[in-house]
Amino acid sequence: MAFNYDSYLRLEKMPTLWCWGCGDGVILKSFIRAVDKLGWSKDDVCVVSGIGCSGRFSSYVDFNTVHTTHGRTIAFATGIKLANPDKHVVCVAGDGDALAIGGNHTIHGCRRNIDITLIVIQNFIYGLTNSQTSPTTPQGMWTVSQKAGNIDPTFDGCKLAIAAGASFVGRETVTAPKKLEKLLVDAMEHKGFSYVEALSNCHINLGRKNKMANAMENLDWIDSITVSKAKYDKLSPEEQLNLLPTGILKQDATAKEYCEMYQEIRDVHQGKRGKITQDDFAKKI
Amino acid sequence: MAVMKAPENTPVWVNTARCKACDICVDVCPAGVLSMKADAGSTLGAIIDVVAPDSCIGCNECELSCPDFAIYVADKKEFKFAKLTDNAKARREAIINNDFRLPADYKEAN
Ligand code: SF4
Ligand code: SF4
Repeated sequence: MAFNYDSYLRLEKMPTLWCWGCGDGVILKSFIRAVDKLGWSKDDVCVVSGIGCSGRFSSYVDFNTVHTTHGRTIAFATGIKLANPDKHVVCVAGDGDALAIGGNHTIHGCRRNIDITLIVIQNFIYGLTNSQTSPTTPQGMWTVSQKAGNIDPTFDGCKLAIAAGASFVGRETVTAPKKLEKLLVDAMEHKGFSYVEALSNCHINLGRKNKMANAMENLDWIDSITVSKAKYDKLSPEEQLNLLPTGILKQDATAKEYCEMYQEIRDVHQGKRGKITQDDFAKKI
Repeated sequence: MAVMKAPENTPVWVNTARCKACDICVDVCPAGVLSMKADAGSTLGAIIDVVAPDSCIGCNECELSCPDFAIYVADKKEFKFAKLTDNAKARREAIINNDFRLPADYKEAN
């Protein structure tokens, strides 16, 4: 007996188009195990992905799926969730998709705290288009668009999500697939916007000119820049400088969820309650 | 849990049609169970091979780390796995140091 991924896959799409050793496959597997653990029916899950290597994600899973335009996963997912509040809606986007072209959607999805899970496959580069600088490319690394070395400061998507109001934020890596599975279970179970950053290897487009041309070198590098939140919190600011904390970084079960607030709008129009006023909110500004 | 049946008396098995020869499973296996082997039909010229199933400790690392759904490990409840031995560790070293392939003339230490 072994875990049967095939019952969740569109087998006619196998093998995936991802390169050999690509961490996206490990994230896909962890996601499938997480859904299985939650016991959700395939018909109750909708996976929305955008453009990029991450965009392939929705093609491979046998759920309700939408493969939409670049950076627009959350816009589509918001509509899907508002119309089907009892379904589970999961967005999958890369660092370029979620933090560059789709950055504003990410911010406002977090702000509304709508019950969607956003999995950001963070591999530090634009992979599909062959190695352009993304908002998360480390400074000093070679990219096709900055061959003399990347001078752009990097983005911490988790900090952004926390500041913007996501009520669940976490980070894990493809080097710890069991922990990633657990984080995804917690994130998907959470009511409200959950932001999960999955650090992934792209030894082909990030690694090839940055001294990690095989998957293991890229994976070792990911291990070298990550540390559990518990350990991270004990470090000095200097020690924290080039490290990213992993695990659950924020979890707030009290924040109001957007679909529930939207139901109140419906109730107003159906005469079930009076108009919404400032008194309905503890924090108004 | 969605389950698939394990082949009889087999700790770890592979679907070579799905293997892209990334070497990751060979690298993470602590027990020198897995190795790449030459395969002219594969894009990278190699394919996964289970070379020492009797050494498998059932840790599941290979299954969790394979991005391509190509490798499976039996359930601990159904199969009695080996303990990690020095022989297995030495074989792993030999495989990793030989470009992820078991040396053709490899002899077990004892
Ligand atoms: S289960 Fe563990 S010991 Fe067995 S082949 Fe996989 S990695 Fe090696
Ligand atoms: S991890 Fe998977 S794809 Fe990579 S070599 Fe092993 S079996 Fe093949």
